Amino acid sequence: MAGLELLSDQGYRLDGRKATELRKFQARMGPFAQADGSAYLEQGNTKALAVVYGPHEMRGSRSRALHDRAVINCQYSMATFSTAERKRRPHGDRKSTEMSLHLKQTFEAAVMTQLYPRSQIDIYVKILQSDGGNYSVCVNAATLAVIDAGIPMRDYVCACTVGFVDETPLADLCYAEESGGVSSLALALLPRGGQIALLQMDARLHQDHLETLMEAAMTACKGVSKVLDEVVRQHLREASMLTRE
Amino acid sequence: MRGVIGVNRVCFALITDKKTRLYEQKSLSLNGVWTQWEEIALTSRRHDDSRHAGFRFAALRIVYKRANRFRRVGMIKTEKVLHLRSCRGRRVRVVREHYLREGVPCFSSLCQAGCANDGKLLPADLTHYLVPDAQVVLSFLEILELRELRGLVFTQTAAQALQSKGRRYYSRLRSLLRDRRHDCVLFANEFQAYSYCPREKGETQESWQTRCVYSAAVWYFNHLAGMMNVVMITEDEDAVARYSSLNSGVYVVSVQDYLQNFWPELQAAHDLYGSISQALQEKEAEGSQKEYSEHLPAEILEAGIKSGRYLQGSLAVSKHRAQSEAFLTPGSSSKSAATDLSGGVLVHGGRNRNRAVHGDAVAVELLPPSEWRGKVTALTEGQGEEKGGEDGERKPMPTGRVVGILQRNWRDYVVTFPSRDGSQSQSRSSQRILAVPWDRRIPKIRISTQQADALQDHRVVVRIDSWESTSLYPNGHSVRVLGRAGELETEVQTILVENCIHVPPFSDAQLRELPVSSPERPWTVAPEEAGRRRDLRRSHLVFSIDPAGCEDVDDALSVRSLDGGRLLELGVHIADVSHFVAEGSLTDLEARSRATTYYLADRRYDMLPPVLSGDLCSLLGGVNRYAMSVIWELDAESLAVRSVWFGRSLIRSSYQLSYEEAQALLEGRAPPPEGDTQLVPALETLTRVARHLRAQRDRGGALELEGVEVRAQLDQHRNISALVPRQPLEVHETVAECMIQANHWVARKVQEAFPSQALLRRHPPPRQELFGPLVDTARARGFTITTSTNKALAESLDRAVDPRDPLVNRMLRMMATQAMSQALYFSSGSESLDQFYHYGLALDRYTHFTSPIRRYADVVVHRLLSAALELDRDQAPDLDQDKALELDRDQDLDQGSPKLDRRALVRARAPASNKELEETAHHINSKNRAAQRAQQLSTSLFQCLYFRDRDPLTDPHCVADAVVYAIRDNGLLVFVPEYGVKGAVYLRNREGQVVAAAAADGRCEWQSGTVRRYADHITTTSSCGCCTFSLFDHVTVRISVLPSSCHANTLNLELISSRPPPGPGGPPPAGPPPGRGQAARQVVQEVVRLAEEAQQGAPSPPLPPEERPFLQSPPPNLHSLLEEIRELALLDPALLDLDGPRGQRSAQAQRAT
Repeated sequence: MAGLELLSDQGYRLDGRKATELRKFQARMGPFAQADGSAYLEQGNTKALAVVYGPHEMRGSRSRALHDRAVINCQYSMATFSTAERKRRPHGDRKSTEMSLHLKQTFEAAVMTQLYPRSQIDIYVKILQSDGGNYSVCVNAATLAVIDAGIPMRDYVCACTVGFVDETPLADLCYAEESGGVSSLALALLPRGGQIALLQMDARLHQDHLETLMEAAMTACKGVSKVLDEVVRQHLREASMLTRE
Repeated sequence: MRGVIGVNRVCFALITDKKTRLYEQKSLSLNGVWTQWEEIALTSRRHDDSRHAGFRFAALRIVYKRANRFRRVGMIKTEKVLHLRSCRGRRVRVVREHYLREGVPCFSSLCQAGCANDGKLLPADLTHYLVPDAQVVLSFLEILELRELRGLVFTQTAAQALQSKGRRYYSRLRSLLRDRRHDCVLFANEFQAYSYCPREKGETQESWQTRCVYSAAVWYFNHLAGMMNVVMITEDEDAVARYSSLNSGVYVVSVQDYLQNFWPELQAAHDLYGSISQALQEKEAEGSQKEYSEHLPAEILEAGIKSGRYLQGSLAVSKHRAQSEAFLTPGSSSKSAATDLSGGVLVHGGRNRNRAVHGDAVAVELLPPSEWRGKVTALTEGQGEEKGGEDGERKPMPTGRVVGILQRNWRDYVVTFPSRDGSQSQSRSSQRILAVPWDRRIPKIRISTQQADALQDHRVVVRIDSWESTSLYPNGHSVRVLGRAGELETEVQTILVENCIHVPPFSDAQLRELPVSSPERPWTVAPEEAGRRRDLRRSHLVFSIDPAGCEDVDDALSVRSLDGGRLLELGVHIADVSHFVAEGSLTDLEARSRATTYYLADRRYDMLPPVLSGDLCSLLGGVNRYAMSVIWELDAESLAVRSVWFGRSLIRSSYQLSYEEAQALLEGRAPPPEGDTQLVPALETLTRVARHLRAQRDRGGALELEGVEVRAQLDQHRNISALVPRQPLEVHETVAECMIQANHWVARKVQEAFPSQALLRRHPPPRQELFGPLVDTARARGFTITTSTNKALAESLDRAVDPRDPLVNRMLRMMATQAMSQALYFSSGSESLDQFYHYGLALDRYTHFTSPIRRYADVVVHRLLSAALELDRDQAPDLDQDKALELDRDQDLDQGSPKLDRRALVRARAPASNKELEETAHHINSKNRAAQRAQQLSTSLFQCLYFRDRDPLTDPHCVADAVVYAIRDNGLLVFVPEYGVKGAVYLRNREGQVVAAAAADGRCEWQSGTVRRYADHITTTSSCGCCTFSLFDHVTVRISVLPSSCHANTLNLELISSRPPPGPGGPPPAGPPPGRGQAARQVVQEVVRLAEEAQQGAPSPPLPPEERPFLQSPPPNLHSLLEEIRELALLDPALLDLDGPRGQRSAQAQRAT
């Protein structure tokens, strides 16, 4: 909607958050017992479901198996009811493929694939409701799912989308902000070492602002990592309590 | 157990009813009781049986999580459901998040709860705070903008409602909130957890907004613990009935009741309320017939502009053909390379203009070339009438039509209510009048008012509300009444309003901020301040040279020799205004909004209050004053600059001289003051240095010329006692040159310290095509003018002298001034280095520094200079403050500090960012232009007043010599040197008759005949014979006044003879300057005599006592004639004021360029 102020003079965004505040985070691990690992994540109104199968034998062509590492196979899809207008989304369209590729690159950096040569790990992520920051929510959900599956990772992979408005970086953009012409940057981080797994931006940004924006993204990702950590520990506690009782 | 049951119920609500809202509503009523919930939840888990354990445990887990979240972050998430229309027209249901928190600050100084209040706070000394409803803010924002209304709390609901009305209104609200002179704050009531009201099912938008605002008002009252009453104003009658008795301490009233009970004497508010509510009631459909085509929506316009189909630009309506012609100068990014649009696009006719008003930013679509028309170049016969024929049109130019308005730039307009014949109905109900604006370029405005009869022939300030496509004219409402048309005060106020000049008297709050200096308790120098400054009182002889009778002395000079005569020290000391006017203070805000002192023909509106401008800042003689100094060390022989020092100082000016006194001292005509041996040698040295500096600049091509003025001598009542013509004295040159050098060196210093955040002044070179008329006219007389560089232009103008008629050179110089571009302020980060050049002064960097009392730009530069000096001090602390900085010091400093740190330090220390400085420069430029226009308009107002009382047929003063300076299709443009008046003389009138001159004495009369125009002359043929008028011919005209009830009076020039008039009014004799001075004095004496007669003859309107300090004598007066003499000054070859084609006319302005 044209004319809405993305950042008011008093520092409030469209939905009442301040510039550095994240959206409300809710996560559940292991909602599907059928898969090896699964996670359901809500970040604000963006809801994603991630499911992990693996590590298992290579399905399909054996020739694609790598002799020393596991192959990670990601698939990203959006539900037809995920946006405000119902849209038919064929699976092979360009956007899904690009996102799948990005996810694959991200997790290849984090998962310790050397432990499973000649096998395959499948990660499927589906967006159930899309309200901005799709990629980041997918990465977070997939992290939880991979942890739920018990696959060893170097570190959590936390992702966040940040934008730049009026010389201020905004963390965790929602859909109204993303479509309001904000230069947005998506960052996937391994927080403990501060290593960047993926950085994506396709808007125009002045060179001087890149530093500040990346700093803000890293801070936001570290915040996300704390929440993810909390979710995992809580899940463990419940799981252990239930088994004890 | 109730707690436990409560927990269960809540948890059920959570799990079964997904609406988090219910949960939130229950939780909201308990403020900070989370710990209890937590405990109860945990205990209940232990006591219940296992059947419900898991179930409840899951629920409690969520409770715990939410509790934790609320405690940790303090935010609650709710959702807003909106129904929007997508771009394809389909209705879409969108759900957006909405976060509530407790810590939304209240911005009141009474707050006891420790809100994070910073910035502007509401004062505590009021009787109530005012919370306007959303509809009130939408409709009556103008009333809320009045400064008398204090303690205003704008809710976020109201601000968002205003956003939907338009971006201009919203930015008005934002500037109101930022302005410290208004006591208003914005309260984010939709994010405050306790004042948020979710929309109920079936509730209309307006009633929901009212409910939100009411809940915000209640929250405010409770938050301030009942210490301040809160009044909510709304137009909704139901709301008043429903809410007014709910809460004591929170009053809900309608706008009218509020104004009547709380502000009974604020007439402006009552007037505004009446006119706006009238306008709102009248908003019915005028008729279903569409007069104009609809504007295209914004997205289509943007897409069209990007693709090049539409052109974007600002619409300029032609002054003389306002009904038919308007021009668009396309912006730089016009992609159509096929047509050459440098001359602009013509929009012909009202229908094609499609409701665009002069000054709006519009999008224009070009018509096919077969429909292109040409600009009419004949003089208009009568104003504003559409000529049926198309004679006189030149070749066709690109023509287009307006398809959409990008930005409306409406301002306040002065209109006149036309006098009505008695045939109109006498009903007292509201009537809709078509009022005629004073500016001819604005269309008539429809006002509905109940006072139409009382306001006949009155001038009223109105604002346009809207212009529907079904109406021929825009609708508006009146704001205030100025007075009867034709009276002097009304006309002067009209000029001010039309140029957006607001000069209210200085407020009490502002005067309280300033130091007090009265005869009983005079202001003295503070000792700690004296310690921080360089004390020049004993070591330097400081004196000032100003026009006689000048009170605001902003500059002083000093000269002495050092080092046994090998070095000369030249000092320029400027009044230290930035010490008294702190950044952000009320005086500063007011000075910034005024931006300059306004000089009208009969009065002056100061930028700073008189305690500063006339006393504390002014460098009067014999008293200690703070100053900002620039001190150069020059080599005594070669006069090359060895070093320069900038800093704050403390001076005591020994002598406050006038120009005449200084010149007399220099020439030895007057004895030096008692016991002083240094003044005269100092003046002589100063003159020598100035001559050298001026010669240097001339070599670079400076175009500066001297000014000749008539100075008014004031007696003790500040009335003009005599007009003394001032010869161009050398001492003027000297002072001007010193000021120019000071400005130049400060510009260098400031720009080097803050390369992209400095306020400088530049004069772009003139466009070569504007020199066309000058070169053609000069060629007609046989002179060649080279316009390639400023040096070439100056030299060729000096050579173009006709020994028989000195007026030729003066006219050529006048035309050269016309072609000059305006000098303007800019921020150094917005232009590249090659654009910094000042064409008229031939300097690579320039700024204004020497007159901070009357120009705001100088105050900004003073602050920049102080910041630059501080930066130097911090970077190189070992440099002694008194030690003069060497010219090559830049290398030393740069080597010490790493480059990146220095850049960051510079950016942090700069008083303002590039963007802010650019906005300030833009603001000052537009205010300066407005000041110049107001000055010209007030001069012509007094000219008309002068001639109005004279009978054109009998009074000899109405007959004068005129020189032809341009030729048009049906007439001539002439200049009357005696009064400095320019105007058009028709050779063919409306009936088709032409001017025919009898051969014998050249007397002219109207007869039938034809007119034929050639390149440089025009011939009329009639039964009397042929008569030719060429460029630079002298003719005789009769001056009379063309009265106009709705617009400004104009002077009408009628040709009465094709020969110059006999007598002393003829062309002054040519010759060297003494001869010219002779002639000027003769004319002046003539005019002085005229003025005396004028004073005796003309009735002077009674002046209110507060006006008197501004006036020098009752108008029409000698001072107004002073301005006419100034035009006379244009005739002298050594004269051009280069701050624009007309230039600033005041004597003080003369010195600084």
